[in-house]
Amino acid sequence: MRIIKLKKEHLRDFVGSLSAFGKLYAPQARGEKSFVLKELKDLSNLRLDYRRTILPPKKFFNRPDETILNFSSDNGYQAAADANGGRRVLFGLHACDIKGLEILDWVMRDGYRDEKYFQRRERTAVIGVSCEPDESCFCLAMQADNVETGYDLFLSDVNSCYLVTVRTSLGDDMVNANQELFQEVGKDTIEAFKKKTHAHARKLDDMCDLSVSQMPELIELEYMSDIWKDYAKRCLSCGSCTMVCPTCTCYDIRDEVELDQQRGTRKKRWDSCFFPDYAAVAGGENFRAEAYSRFRYRYLHKQDGFVAKYGRSSCVGCGRCIEICPAKIDLRDVIKSIEGVT
Amino acid sequence: MAKPRIGIYGLTGCAGDQLAILNCEDELLDIVNAVDLRSFSMASSSNPEGEIDVAFVEGAVCQQRDLDELKEIRSRSKLLIAIGTCAVWGGVAAARNDIDREKLKEKVYGPSGSFLESLPVKPLGEHVKVDLAISGCPIEKEELINSVASLLRGDLPLLVSFPVCTSCKMHEYECLLVKRGQLCLGPITRAGCEARCPGLNRVCRGCRGPVDEPNAASEVALLKERGFDRRDIINALATFAAPAEKLAEQIVGKEPACQSAQDASQAEKE
Ligand code: SF4
Ligand code: SF4
Ligand code: SF4
Repeated sequence: MRIIKLKKEHLRDFVGSLSAFGKLYAPQARGEKSFVLKELKDLSNLRLDYRRTILPPKKFFNRPDETILNFSSDNGYQAAADANGGRRVLFGLHACDIKGLEILDWVMRDGYRDEKYFQRRERTAVIGVSCEPDESCFCLAMQADNVETGYDLFLSDVNSCYLVTVRTSLGDDMVNANQELFQEVGKDTIEAFKKKTHAHARKLDDMCDLSVSQMPELIELEYMSDIWKDYAKRCLSCGSCTMVCPTCTCYDIRDEVELDQQRGTRKKRWDSCFFPDYAAVAGGENFRAEAYSRFRYRYLHKQDGFVAKYGRSSCVGCGRCIEICPAKIDLRDVIKSIEGVT
Repeated sequence: MAKPRIGIYGLTGCAGDQLAILNCEDELLDIVNAVDLRSFSMASSSNPEGEIDVAFVEGAVCQQRDLDELKEIRSRSKLLIAIGTCAVWGGVAAARNDIDREKLKEKVYGPSGSFLESLPVKPLGEHVKVDLAISGCPIEKEELINSVASLLRGDLPLLVSFPVCTSCKMHEYECLLVKRGQLCLGPITRAGCEARCPGLNRVCRGCRGPVDEPNAASEVALLKERGFDRRDIINALATFAAPAEKLAEQIVGKEPACQSAQDASQAEKE
């Protein structure tokens, strides 16, 4: 590890130089009040004041809807060319999203290793940036307020400069290619960094009154509770919360044939456990036919089953599902209802 | 294997779905080559009828003539596929089923309309068995072509059943409801359109009809909470799918959605 200093006036030059390491993606405005990670074609569009992007970085590795193979009666099955397999640099990810990618890696690795996912991951550099939380954030409760791995570089905002933590040799290359932009860290900056870090931790703590200790036990104990039914009355099964979640990975596979019946494609598209047909099987049975059982399932998986397997919840407290739910269902309220503290 | 005999028919509607089929310019020849097209009123003037394997029917049943034709088509077709929101849900024409047919005829056509045998507007499924529904106003080209290709293999097609919000998220459009407080029906409307309207900064007006399990009660509640009046919400819900019982039931009880719109506007005046 190496830590150096980047003055804010040099940020643009540095970001601009990163396109030498792959196609550069960074947070930019979308619509009136939203942000997305997209290709940075104009440096003046960079928005490091963003709170969260509509979709998390998972979209780069698991595409929302893509063709995975082509088939024809002449050539059989052939893997589709990967339009997303080139070198990329994702600039400006927050700690929670970096944690989200780490969790995604566990899931994509276990059982059946998804090679395409890891090819994309390996060709993608990650550069983190410190954040300002808003009222939907609760990363602290989900132990995702800080990351020590999962990035090549991490920029911590310290007033007029950034402290740049170099984690990997790729990160080192990025810095070395721009030696003149960086400086040694002086005593003042160290003091300022400590103050900022402390203040940030205090702020997160003040904002977040959520505790998830013993959530798996409580969810199991409250399996039959009416709480699920009460929330499900409001839930639209719209699927938004799962689409925007950095760690939701469910997908559906379908084959589409051409009119000539000789050729076709196999497609993979994000799916959601909220959809009525999600747990439907041949013969017309449905393991989760009732809306409340689907609503409950999301909590069963993320806050219970996942903990049993990986020792932590798959939620990173990014707040996307809270911000985007049309019915204003707040995951923190659901957890508190289960804990009996509301 | 003999090519399946196919017929394409239109009841009352704007003929937009037949036009959508004609607009499949690149694939049209492939379609025509793959099937034995017996009838396509918009494209051909000589249509030999008789027994067919698949009938695609657009439009809603608005008059006795439609009903007779629909029953006749059903009687000689193995499969009947409703295409377009009018055929699947009743569509725009069904939005004012609450007005008495005789009064409506008088208002629109005057005395010269007296010969019309007008019926309350209903989707095909209210009158005959429908084997597959492809909604849309008009239908999406991809869904149609996929459906034909699947049927040729002897499979029923897998049509999108998730709501517009899901597509809207996949495209990463800004949410017009949550971020701009607009009256969007995306949460309970069937996708398949790739969230075209939100992508163009326009709310979803529900033109593809409701999803299989719409939570209309919650949609109405969340829109009311955001300051929309009940009448506007219910009118929006009734625009394309007024006869949909599953919408109406959740909003006010059993009667059709357009009736509740009427009640709501009445209540408003009082
Ligand atoms: S975003 Fe809200 S309404 Fe939509 S499925 Fe999730 S919890 Fe339900
Ligand atoms: S469950 Fe919600 S808050 Fe947690 S990671 Fe997913 S989107 Fe973020
Ligand atoms: S704009 Fe409409 S369709 Fe898109 S997510 Fe928001 S409510 Fe759903």
